[in-house]
Formats: sequence, structure tokens, C-alpha cells
Amino acid sequence: MRYDAIIIGGGHNGLTCAAYLARAGRKVLVLERRHVLGGAAVTEEVFPGFKFSVCSYVVSLLRPEIIRDLDLPAHGMELLPLDGTFTPMANGDYLWRVNDHYKTRREIARHSRLDAEAYEEYGKAMIEMGRFAKPILALTPPDPTSLDPRGLLDLLAIGKRFRAMRPHDRINQVQLLTMSAVDFLDQWFETDVLKATMSASGIIGTFLGVRSPGTAYVLLHHYMGEIDGSFRSWGLARGGTGAVSNAIAAAARGFGAEIRTEAPVAQILTKSGRASGVALTNGDEIRAEVVISSVDPHLTFLRFLDPRQLPDDFVEGVRRYKFRGSSGKVNLALDGLPDFTALPGAGPHLRGAMSISPSIDYMEQAYDDAKYGAFSQRPYMDIVIPSLTDPSVAPPGKHVMSCFVQYAPYHLKEGTWDEQREAFGDAVINAIAEYAPNIKNIIRHRQVLTPLDIEREFGLTEGNIFQGELTLEQLFFLRPVPGWAQYATPVDRLYLCGSATHPGGGIMGAPGKNAAMRVLKEVKG
Amino acid sequence: MIGGGINGLTCAAYLAKAGFKPLVLEATDRIGGGACTAEIAPGFRAPILAHSTGPLRHDVIDDLQLRSHGLTFLPSEVSVTSLAIDGRSLVIHEEVNQTAAALREWSPRDAEQWPRFVSTLASLARVIGTLYSVTPAPIDDASGRDLWALLRTLRAFRALDQADAYRLLRWGPMAVADLVGESFENERLRAVVAADGIFGTRFGPWSAGSGLVLLLRAANEALGPARSWVARGGPGAIAIALESVIRKHGGEVQTGKRVAQVMVRDQRARGVVLVDGTEIAAATVVSGVDPKQTLLSLCDAADLGPEFLWRMRNYRTFGTVAKLNLALSSLPTFPGVDRESLTGRMRIAPDVDYLERAFDHSKYGRYSPAPYIEFTVPSLLDDSLIAGGGHVLSAYVQFAPYQLRNTNWDDAADGFARMAIDTLEQYAPGLRGLIVAQQVITPLDLERTYGFTGGHIFHGELALDQMLTMRPLLGWGQYRTPVRDLYLGGSGTHPGTGLTGGSGANAAREIIRQLR
Repeated sequence: MRYDAIIIGGGHNGLTCAAYLARAGRKVLVLERRHVLGGAAVTEEVFPGFKFSVCSYVVSLLRPEIIRDLDLPAHGMELLPLDGTFTPMANGDYLWRVNDHYKTRREIARHSRLDAEAYEEYGKAMIEMGRFAKPILALTPPDPTSLDPRGLLDLLAIGKRFRAMRPHDRINQVQLLTMSAVDFLDQWFETDVLKATMSASGIIGTFLGVRSPGTAYVLLHHYMGEIDGSFRSWGLARGGTGAVSNAIAAAARGFGAEIRTEAPVAQILTKSGRASGVALTNGDEIRAEVVISSVDPHLTFLRFLDPRQLPDDFVEGVRRYKFRGSSGKVNLALDGLPDFTALPGAGPHLRGAMSISPSIDYMEQAYDDAKYGAFSQRPYMDIVIPSLTDPSVAPPGKHVMSCFVQYAPYHLKEGTWDEQREAFGDAVINAIAEYAPNIKNIIRHRQVLTPLDIEREFGLTEGNIFQGELTLEQLFFLRPVPGWAQYATPVDRLYLCGSATHPGGGIMGAPGKNAAMRVLKEVKG
Repeated sequence: MIGGGINGLTCAAYLAKAGFKPLVLEATDRIGGGACTAEIAPGFRAPILAHSTGPLRHDVIDDLQLRSHGLTFLPSEVSVTSLAIDGRSLVIHEEVNQTAAALREWSPRDAEQWPRFVSTLASLARVIGTLYSVTPAPIDDASGRDLWALLRTLRAFRALDQADAYRLLRWGPMAVADLVGESFENERLRAVVAADGIFGTRFGPWSAGSGLVLLLRAANEALGPARSWVARGGPGAIAIALESVIRKHGGEVQTGKRVAQVMVRDQRARGVVLVDGTEIAAATVVSGVDPKQTLLSLCDAADLGPEFLWRMRNYRTFGTVAKLNLALSSLPTFPGVDRESLTGRMRIAPDVDYLERAFDHSKYGRYSPAPYIEFTVPSLLDDSLIAGGGHVLSAYVQFAPYQLRNTNWDDAADGFARMAIDTLEQYAPGLRGLIVAQQVITPLDLERTYGFTGGHIFHGELALDQMLTMRPLLGWGQYRTPVRDLYLGGSGTHPGTGLTGGSGANAAREIIRQLR
């Protein structure tokens, strides 16, 4: 039995790619190593009655055209708004930004009138930035070193749109691509906690500090979600992020795609320099016209293929590609709700995100620990309690709390992650307890995911949640390997469609779709 | 011409040579700005600020015939030596294969890599170099001339093989620590190379973008004499040579003339007012001092407009370098370092983490207790600096953040100097005993005495967003300002990066075109 395309990995990008191919009438097979679909966008009942979005926990970057094309709502995807970000401060005060613009302005004015004014301007500016950047997400990155006219035209088109922007928007755009999150925000704001908590989204998934140039871009990367559609802010998926993957899978199946779980790939088969199928760990060999890998370049080229089949400089490029997982995840099953000293009680602030990013120094110190190979003693955290918005994920009266934790460097200077896991978990709980002391008494179960666990469980090399750092030298036409940013690989008929390709990580689906488009163009069914 | 620094003087020299009549007004009693030689103790003359210049560009030296105006360079075979407490120092020679040979005992792999690294860096530098001698193209209305210039760069870029082309794209935004990590395995070599990516900036080796600084400096080095070469008579000699060029062509240079304000009438610069109230009229006013000082303190905010003001206030000029000058009764002994190596630059940069830690302190408003230091002993090559016996030692000490927390530089200076000397003492036991006199110049002194806003030795951070057509600001990268006939010609304009004369030469070309 022969397929048009085999897709390695049943993550949201692999599934998206499959759905688009199947929709175009191709015979598609998706092979997922684990027993569940979704990759990092997965819901699992870790403890009886408690369902967790084990890794990725919020949705918003998912491209609207994908939601439409695949009619995901009809397949059971429902996004619930996640309102606001609550940031407790060391001095007992807090900063609470919500989607209601005027409330937020009043709140910021409490800290600084000037900043309240600037917030207006900043919001407008970022919308412009997003408008400019969004079309680039859907673009196959051109190769600036080749004379391929299509690529040059794409670059020209970007240049045209760049020049069409108002001067100060242009300046912002350049700064976003080059500055550090803090330097960028410094231009607008004076309130330390505001800059700290805003800059936090500039470091997620990178091994950079909020003062490192390049982090302003990641700021934008996370902002684009907020711009899609009607300025939608971050949201939760009913039933956890796994529900998104399942909806995409359902859509793919609906178009006739075949999806197998617990079917780990051992090897990509090639015949005379051309991908011809895959071999599973159980020895089965499956043939296909095209093989598309949604897993990261390390697995694809160094594990599933024999590097000797590949050009040396390409292999060097793959080896040099930076992962550097820098974050961990702590999932808590709670008997009650955390009680923040800064704002006591089970108020609406618990329904949004809670950010442990009280000051720029706090963020920098967290980074300093990591730079020298230790996890942050007092880490930055982005916390949500999905059970408040979606009761279906926890038993009545109980709650699930998801803590995204940075920094947790994959490479520890002392000890192994297996030895350090619980110490890391304790550091996280202690850091939360500084702002919500009751946390320790309401924890029923705790799941600690170190970068090593993320690598083992979810096949993300070095535990990098974006399948590779979102740093400037690894973006656009440099992602994942310079010269190979167009979803194709040196092996004929082998393509990439994961977060390691442009435009990168997050539950966005764009890499999967872009790759599918390229395959459909090149390989006639 | 406001400010008698190297770029200001270069600009004035080009203007004079073109037949115009420039007047250079230097606020202090000595020309040269960052490049000055002066007595720090009777009989001991030292490079007060910079000890190795930009380097000064070949084309500037030739165009202005500086050699015939008394400028001579004293060559050194040794480029940089990375000192080790155990005496096992690593020497990088100007000559590539000599270095490779020296590296063999450290790492055969790196020894083999070195020539490749040097040639790669050189070919990338050539591409960047093509941008240095032209005015950056404005992004809105690039003229035919601009496009032609860009075409040259594009051709140079295409001339690179694909691997190098991509290196250029990758290395710029990269952290220099990653860059050297990709290239070498030996920590000491990595650190001594990475140091070029952080000098004078607010970057640690792990800060993304420090790779660009390394490339920019490499581009400079391709355009001038080796950076370890020193001018006979110290950097000040360069200023003196430039001054003599200006005078020869009928220009004027006056010291002790501090400008208080740029005279502006109906949106045009008409001249300057000195602090003593004297008004001096001129067809064109050029400022060699940094953009912030020029526009925020010498100009009237009303002439600039709110948007421009806001941008200029956000132009980053946070200094991180302090200077330590020592007069020594005799040559200190650095275990394991021969006399020849001492003629080059010495660096205290044992490993990349050392540099990063030094940087960490500056983030929290403290100076590094274990700083990155680059020093020279110029008197070894140039006996004209010493009247009697002895030697002078000139050291850059980083990181010394312009803003200290819960103290100020006036109170902290002594403790800082002690710390810096202790650090040197570790590598040269007995050094302290040889000190006849010492001079410490903090970032605050750099601002107050020498006029570097924020104490930033490069007139503004060397960051991706403050480079090329964005230096100092996007839309104002062509040496012009919102005030007609007021130009910028200092290091805060493209190509910047210090005492190369590049900014001054480019500015002069623009001004001459305008005046004709």
C-alpha cells in the first residue's frame, strides 16, 4: 500500500500539514510516536480527574485562515478568552492589565500617568507592527544569496511595504528586529514592573535575557496573536490545548487522512538520494512519494537519516542549529485556589494569566543563574488556572494550575536533571509562595517537567519548546539552516513542516500549512 | 567646527583642503578629543584616553598626506596577548601563520582553524568596508548615487561564497560568545577574540548583537594600519598632524573655546555662541561632538520638533569603560610574557564567562570587581613619551557603568582604581611598588571633562538599530540635522566606531557637495 505523503510526527503542525494535503486529495499517513496526538499541544489526565495541557497551555497564534480552511470549530475546537495579566510585586502592590483598555489605562495610571498615556501609543504602534509582520508569516522565505527572481520579488515586496509605512512605524519595525525588549520598552515606559512583565514575552523559548538584543522580536512574535481577528487576546482551548490538535486531526481524517499513534519512526528510507518512505521501530516499512518531517532537524537529519548521506556543510549547519531549552513546566493539581497577598481572594484576576515578573532586575537575575548552568532560584513564571474558565478539566471544587517556568537550562553545570528535578519543583513553589503563601497547603499533586523530560517525552531536542531558539540568526531565511529555509531539504522528496521552519514556534500551524503548499506545488498527485 | 576630536579635525582638514575656511573650536585646552597625549606626571606622557586608535583610515592618512605632516607609526609584531596568572599567556601575532604556530600548543584544531577564521573575517570585513566610505542611503528617497553605492556592496556580497554570505547574515545578530564558540575550542582564545565584540559597549559576550561589533571592528582594521601600531608621540600626534594640515590650507584651530549654543535663525544655523558670549558667524556649523550633546544641549528644542526630540533622547549612550593611566618607575615583569609581546596589547580575559560576569555587575549598577582590562605599555615602542627613565601603562577597564547604584563616581573612583590595580597586580606581581603616579578617568569624567555624553567612548551604542543609515537616527543617517546647515561629523554618525576619521571624512564630502 503506497501513500502520496507520510508525515512524521502528529503534532499540530504535522496534523495541519496532513489536513491541507488530504484536502487537496492526497493520500496521507501521519505517524505519531506517542499514544496521544498533538505533540506539545496535548491534553493528558496526569492525575485521576485532573486534565492538563501538559506543555503548551495557551492558544492565540493559530492562524485564522487555518481555523477557517479546516473549519476547526465544527470539529470541536472552542477557544475561551483568557482575560488579563496579573503581576504581583515585591512591595505588596500589583499590576493588573486586562483586555478592557480603559480599565488597564486606569490601572497603569495608578503607577504612572505618563505610562498610561504611552500605553495608548504603544498599543497602536504594535498593531501597525503586527500588520506589517503578519503577511511574512505566510511567506516561504526567499534565499538572499541566490538570484531566484521569485525570492527577490518577495524581498522587494517586503521592502515596498516597509517603505509604505509611516516613518516612525518603520523605525519601530527596525527596532523590533534589533533591540532588546527592555531597551525597546524603555522608550515608552518608566514603570519598572510594567516593563518587566511586558518584556517577559520577549524571552519565552529563548536563552536570552530581557536586556539581550533580539528579544524585542519575540515580543512581537507573541503580540501577533493578539492582533489576529478582533484584537483577540490569548485564549484557552476547552478541554486543553489537546482539543486543538484533536480538532485538526478530525479535520484531516475528514479529508481522508490516515493517522496512526504509537507508531514510532526509526528511519527515513531513501533510494538513490531520494526519500522513498520510512521504517518503523517494529521493522515495518511504509512507502510514499514524499516524506514530511514535523520533528526537529536534529531528529530528522542526525537520527532518522545517516548524516553521511548529506552534504557536510548542511550537517554542520544542523549541528550548529541552537535549541538550548531554557524553560520547564510545573503542573499542579490543587484543592483550592492560590491567595495572593497583593490582591486577596478568588477574584477575576485568577482567571487570567498570573505573571511572576516583579521587576527587570528579577528577570535579569533569573537569567544570570541560567547563564552559568543552574536553574533560576527565583524564576520567571507565567501561570494560568484553566479550571476556572473550563471546569471540565478538574473534579468539582478542585483546580489545575499550569506554571510555565524560565529559566531551566537543558545543560546543567552541576548534577543531572534527574537529580535536580524535585529541587527545581521546590524552587518554583517557593517562588510562588512569596506572593501566594497558601499555595503550599493546597497542592494535591505536582508534575515537574524539566527540559530533559520535555525532550524525552515529547521529542523536543534539548527541551526547546519552539524546536529551536527564536533568535535573529535562526529566523526567516536562516531557519533552520541557511539556504534550506524553504521546507525542502538536501534529500529529494523529504520536507520539513515543524516549528523549526519559518515562521517558528507556538500553536500557529503556519509551518505546517506553508510546507503543505510547497509540497502541493512541487509534487503532483 | 564644534569639537577638535579626530573626526572633527579630519572633517575640517578635508574642508580646508577643498578650499573652504574652517574654524575648529575645541572646548578643552588640548585638541584630539579621544586621541590625546599628555603628562600624567613630570616626565611621563601617556595616551590619556584611547591608546590604540580606530585605527585611522589609510585613505584619510593618504588624502591628507599626514605622514608628510609628521605622523609616523611604530609597528609591533604582536597584536594581542591574553595574560594568564600561571604565566601561560596566549599570544596573537599580526602574522597569521606565526599565530597558528603559537596556537598549536593550546589546541591543534584551533591552530588549524585560525588562518581560516582570519581570512573569513577579512572577507566579511571587506563587504562591510564598502559601506564605510559612503554616506548611508536614506530609505525613502535613495538617489542614483546611493543606489550605485549599494550596488557596490551588493556585488561585494555576491562575491562571497554562499557559506560566507550566510555567515555575514548570521554573525551580525549573533552573540559573539556563540561566534567564537563555533570557531574555536580553546576558552582563552575564544575570550580574547570575543573581547573585541564587547569593548566600549553595553554588551556581554552572550548578548546577541555583539557579533556585529566584532565585524565592525574587523572592517575598521581592514581599512587602516594594524591596531597594535601606535603613532609616535602617542595618539595626540595624529591630532597635531591633522591640525597642521588644516593650518597649511588656511583653516584655524582654537582651543579653550567652549561652544554654548548653535545660533539658529529661521531654521538655519548661522554660527555659534561661546560660553563667554562671543558670537562667531559661519555659513555652516559642523559638530564633532556626540549627537545628543549637539542637539539636546547646544540646540533649542523648538527647532527640532517633538518626534525627533523623543528619538534623540532615546539614542543610547550608556558608557561602560573607564581609563587607568600609570606612571611606572620601571618596566613591571609579567611572568611568561617576553618584551616583544609587551609591545602589543595585553588583555585580561581568561575565559568567556569571566567577561560575562564582568558585564553582569554593570546591569545592576556596580562596577566589575574582576574587570576585563586591555592595556598597553606605549613607552616600550615610543621613548619620546618618557623624559627620564620609567614607563607608562595605559589601561581600559570594563565594565564601569556610567550610572552607579547608591553611590556616585566621585566617591567610587578611588576604590575603583585600587581594584583595577589589584587586578593588574595579580598578573604583574610588584606592579604597585613601581607606581610613581596614577590617573583614573571614570565614565563621569569622560562626560564632564571630555564631553562624551553618558561617558560612551563611541558617541553612542554600537547596536544594530544605531548603525548605518540609522546612526544616529533612522532618517538622519546622512550627517544632516533638522536644522539646516547644521551637520554632524563625529563618531555618532556612520561609520562611527571611534577614532578612524571615517565619520569626519564622510561628513566633509556631504558638506562640500552642499556648499558648492
